[in-house]
Amino acid sequence: MTFSERMLKIDRRIIFLVIGLCTLLPLLYPVGLPIKISSEVRGVYDHIESLPEQSVFLLSIDFDPASKPELYPQAIALLRHAFRKNLRVITMTLWVSGTGMADQIVTQVAKEMGKEYGTDYAFLGWSPGGQAVIINMGQDLYSAFPSDYGGRPTKELPVLNGVRNLKDVGYMVDLGAGKPGVEEWYVFGKDKYKFELGGGCTGVMAPGLYPLLRSGQINGLIGGLRGAAEYESLIDQKGQAVAGMDAQSATHIAIIVLVIICNVFYLSLRRAARAQGQAG
Amino acid sequence: MIFLRRQLPLLITLVAGLLFAAQYYVPHPASEQMLTSATKWLQIIGGFALVLGVTSLFHLHAVKIRRQEAGWGYSLVLYAGMLGTIAVGLWADGKESIEGVMTSFGWVYNYMMVPLQGTMFAILAFFIASAAYRSFRARSREAAVLLVAAVIVMMGRVPLGEYLVPLSGDVASWILNVLNASVRRAILIGVSLGAIALSFKIIFGVERSYLGGGKE
Repeated sequence: MTFSERMLKIDRRIIFLVIGLCTLLPLLYPVGLPIKISSEVRGVYDHIESLPEQSVFLLSIDFDPASKPELYPQAIALLRHAFRKNLRVITMTLWVSGTGMADQIVTQVAKEMGKEYGTDYAFLGWSPGGQAVIINMGQDLYSAFPSDYGGRPTKELPVLNGVRNLKDVGYMVDLGAGKPGVEEWYVFGKDKYKFELGGGCTGVMAPGLYPLLRSGQINGLIGGLRGAAEYESLIDQKGQAVAGMDAQSATHIAIIVLVIICNVFYLSLRRAARAQGQAG
Repeated sequence: MIFLRRQLPLLITLVAGLLFAAQYYVPHPASEQMLTSATKWLQIIGGFALVLGVTSLFHLHAVKIRRQEAGWGYSLVLYAGMLGTIAVGLWADGKESIEGVMTSFGWVYNYMMVPLQGTMFAILAFFIASAAYRSFRARSREAAVLLVAAVIVMMGRVPLGEYLVPLSGDVASWILNVLNASVRRAILIGVSLGAIALSFKIIFGVERSYLGGGKE
């Protein structure tokens, strides 16, 4: 077996070790490289900035713990921004497995920002039906969520004063890790009820949402950990996402180097085989 | 019985399909009220679907345990996990926390489900790296184009990549915004046209596979 052949069949545990070290070392010794802000993330930030105080901001936390590393920092950064702007924040989830996590996120940020439940924010919880919930909220929010997560009647929450359905929402951002997610909020929500919509998603999902972004169907997109890090930089409150960017940088570069190495050996083997064939 | 099994569902599909397709274009209060009621029904049916799903899962694994098929031990673990979680969930009234205090259900959620799901997702990074090394090869011109585009986007999406190759960020953004968006849009239009055609076939009873394969 030639050296190239041996390198192409390298033990996968060596690759696992390289990736493990590339993730661990930057987390222990952060470098803090500057993060460039993209127009996609700025779209969401600028829209929240433009909202007058006491506007209604709806955040749908549509992900489960599997997507927590990427979407949790996005949710934290968005809520901090919304609370800082004194918006009326309404949160909910369409993913039953994300209910507990969504409650924790909202409660944690509200506590940190000194906001009062019912007056400044509310967590409506989860309701079954997926996209049917979106349509139902568009028709009558109180029919989709007669009570909030804690069992209080939603009609009695002061934060929902003057809000009958999705048409009364100033801005809505969906943080989605699949279906129902950003696409469903556009198709079943924004398209009919005409509210402004922004999105947040995992890194692998982001390319699939660019057609919605380019056509103005969503006015901004926070993609993956990078998007979250950009948002944290914009609100000048660096957190988990910025801290994780060094690890992601190192891992991306490691994968690129691995792919290049594998191709160098692959091409050298192919050339050798071709030369052998000509000689034969 | 054919009427109940075949003709009635087809008739309901035809009427409901045409009615709700038309409803979108009629903003009359009566039409909106009809949509509100229908979506409420949908939500209730969605709730029943959950019960149906859980029942079906229980049945499937009960059969596996009874017949002691390969991997039946995992089915036992599933039973223990599900019954335990349901019992704890009912005890805690389905709440992970009450007035900021974590319930036993919240404990199961926070210290079992969250780390387990997080671990599953984190392992992906290692497998993707290993798979990329083994299979991401420039075997043809098309594969080489894909390889170069992937490397540029990976470089351009992280600060270190932008620092090493300053142009990579802009090129990655162009690939995502122009090449990727246009191709995705073309796929979306194709899929949507297909969905419209299939909807018409279902509404007008041409496509009947959703009725199941029972006797006529």
